[in-house]
Amino acid sequence: MINKYTWIVLKKELTDIFRDKKTLITSILIPILVFPIMAFVIGMGTDKFIDDSSQDISIAIISEEESKLESFIRDHEGINVVAPDNPEEALSELDIKAIIKIPQGVDQQIENDEMPDIEILYDSTSTNSDSARSRVAGIIGEYSQSIVFNRLEELGIDPQVLNPISVSSTPIANQDEDAGLGIMILSMLLPLMLTVWAAVGGIPAATDLGAGEKERQTLEPLLTTRANRLSLLMGKYFAVVIAAIMGTIAALIGFGIAGKINPNFMGTGSGMPLKSAVAVGILCIGLALVFSALELAISFFARSFKEAQTYLSPLTIVVMLPAYLTMYLDGKEIPEYFFHIPLVNTIAVIKESIVLVFNIQHILIVSGWTILYIALALFLTVKMFNKESVMFRS
Amino acid sequence: MIQVKNLSKSFKKVDAVTNISFEVKKGVVFGLLGENGAGKTTTLRMLATMLKPTNGTAIVDGIDLLQHPEKVRGLIGILFGGETGLYDRLTARENITYFGLLNGMEKLEIERRIEEISNMLDMNEYLDRRAGKFSKGMKQKVSIARSIIHDPDIMLFDEPTSGLDVTSIRVVHEFIRRLKEQGKTIVFSSHSMNEVEKLCDEVGIIHKGEIVEVATIKELREKYEDMELEDIFVKLVGGKK
Repeated sequence: MINKYTWIVLKKELTDIFRDKKTLITSILIPILVFPIMAFVIGMGTDKFIDDSSQDISIAIISEEESKLESFIRDHEGINVVAPDNPEEALSELDIKAIIKIPQGVDQQIENDEMPDIEILYDSTSTNSDSARSRVAGIIGEYSQSIVFNRLEELGIDPQVLNPISVSSTPIANQDEDAGLGIMILSMLLPLMLTVWAAVGGIPAATDLGAGEKERQTLEPLLTTRANRLSLLMGKYFAVVIAAIMGTIAALIGFGIAGKINPNFMGTGSGMPLKSAVAVGILCIGLALVFSALELAISFFARSFKEAQTYLSPLTIVVMLPAYLTMYLDGKEIPEYFFHIPLVNTIAVIKESIVLVFNIQHILIVSGWTILYIALALFLTVKMFNKESVMFRS
Repeated sequence: MIQVKNLSKSFKKVDAVTNISFEVKKGVVFGLLGENGAGKTTTLRMLATMLKPTNGTAIVDGIDLLQHPEKVRGLIGILFGGETGLYDRLTARENITYFGLLNGMEKLEIERRIEEISNMLDMNEYLDRRAGKFSKGMKQKVSIARSIIHDPDIMLFDEPTSGLDVTSIRVVHEFIRRLKEQGKTIVFSSHSMNEVEKLCDEVGIIHKGEIVEVATIKELREKYEDMELEDIFVKLVGGKK
């Protein structure tokens, strides 16, 4: 099955692939670039968001007289009180983010234990105005709490009676908050990236090596050489597998660069232990072996290059679907049956590895399934390659 | 050299070739003459072991092609007509070398052979250029070189001149004559009477998957009282319709 002819074919096909700019761009360059670009864009978005929230908020205060409340707001950090000619117009232009209306005699009303009505005007369609509203409401809340404390103290009651329970939350993972967020993004993106590239990375090569060869009419001369069919097929198969693995590695490199550009993208690294990384690597190669065989079979089935492309593009969606559906799956609570569903089982093991779970039983189950998938996919491909009505139709 | 014995091939329910038998002696140029769809290509593909016969077999240089298809493939070279397929991103030399290697040849042997063929076909100039930008004639020469790199004793040509311009046709005809001088056994299919008359020693006329006549050109003339080959063909084929 694998002999010197297999190596001759493999060597030739790899030379051919590496000279093809189109395949190089789609299989290597794009996966390297996609994640850094994503990291850059996401980074720009969050930086802008952080900028906005750390800037002073401009508001206007409408009142008839000086009041303690007004000066409390004015003295508050991060608030910039301005006095535009027409406050409501300024708000609709978003020159100011909110307007506070303080009624007359507010200090007096508070003194008399009446409830003064403070009104905040804001633009509910603007997120910036909305967050200004909640900030201003918070400041007024602070002021009102200080009054409550004063009143309680006057009555000789400890203000602590208002807090019967004290709540404090501490993350148990040994990481700072940023790393936690990074791990979450990593656990969503990494399985998607690894499985999708391992599965579809071979498509351009498979199209060219199967249907492309048919269309170029180089297949028939190839079949009349001394090399037997199976060794020819194996050479082509390994070339597609290598292309798929190269695509996956390229995506991983891109992911690494992305982490350098924007540390939030990956956190401070999940510190996956070597044994998990090896298991994940092997399972991804397994996935590449399964899908390369399927792609080659489909490519040989197609009459032409175009037809092969039409048949193969839905495959990308078939792979993306389980990857997306499991995006929010918690790596620490994966239902047992997930390890028996094709594709989902590989994703499940990757998810576990990211949250530092190393379950040898799960890995063995998924490996067993993967070997079975490879055998089935290869069986199909060999059958297809030996089918005269498929190979010689045009 | 080649004995075809009751060879048949059917695809699903269509009989492409039915029970054909003929013999080609060493050094003879044998023409398979027939209309499009008569079963010429299927017959040649079976001889090249690309298709498995439904029935019957052929003995090539003493080897049964059903039992040792790989050995038979090592003995034959095959050249297809029409659009010639090469690997565009490989040079002419790499294209030819690939097929040499796949026919079990050593690197040194291949290099020597390429030099020989390249001198013969006058293709030294573009031997190390990529095939993608070659003209039809250049491609034709590369595929000829590819088909004889392993110096086969038997050559199969399937409509080798269809779709070629006059210059390229001459190259192919010249090539066939040269092989004949070297004593190679040649089977070639064609639907052109002229070509068959010009090149062949013997003719097998194939119609609807069956051989209706096998004879030398001379025998045909004698049998049909100096009729033109074309008329003989029409008579034989028309009579079966």
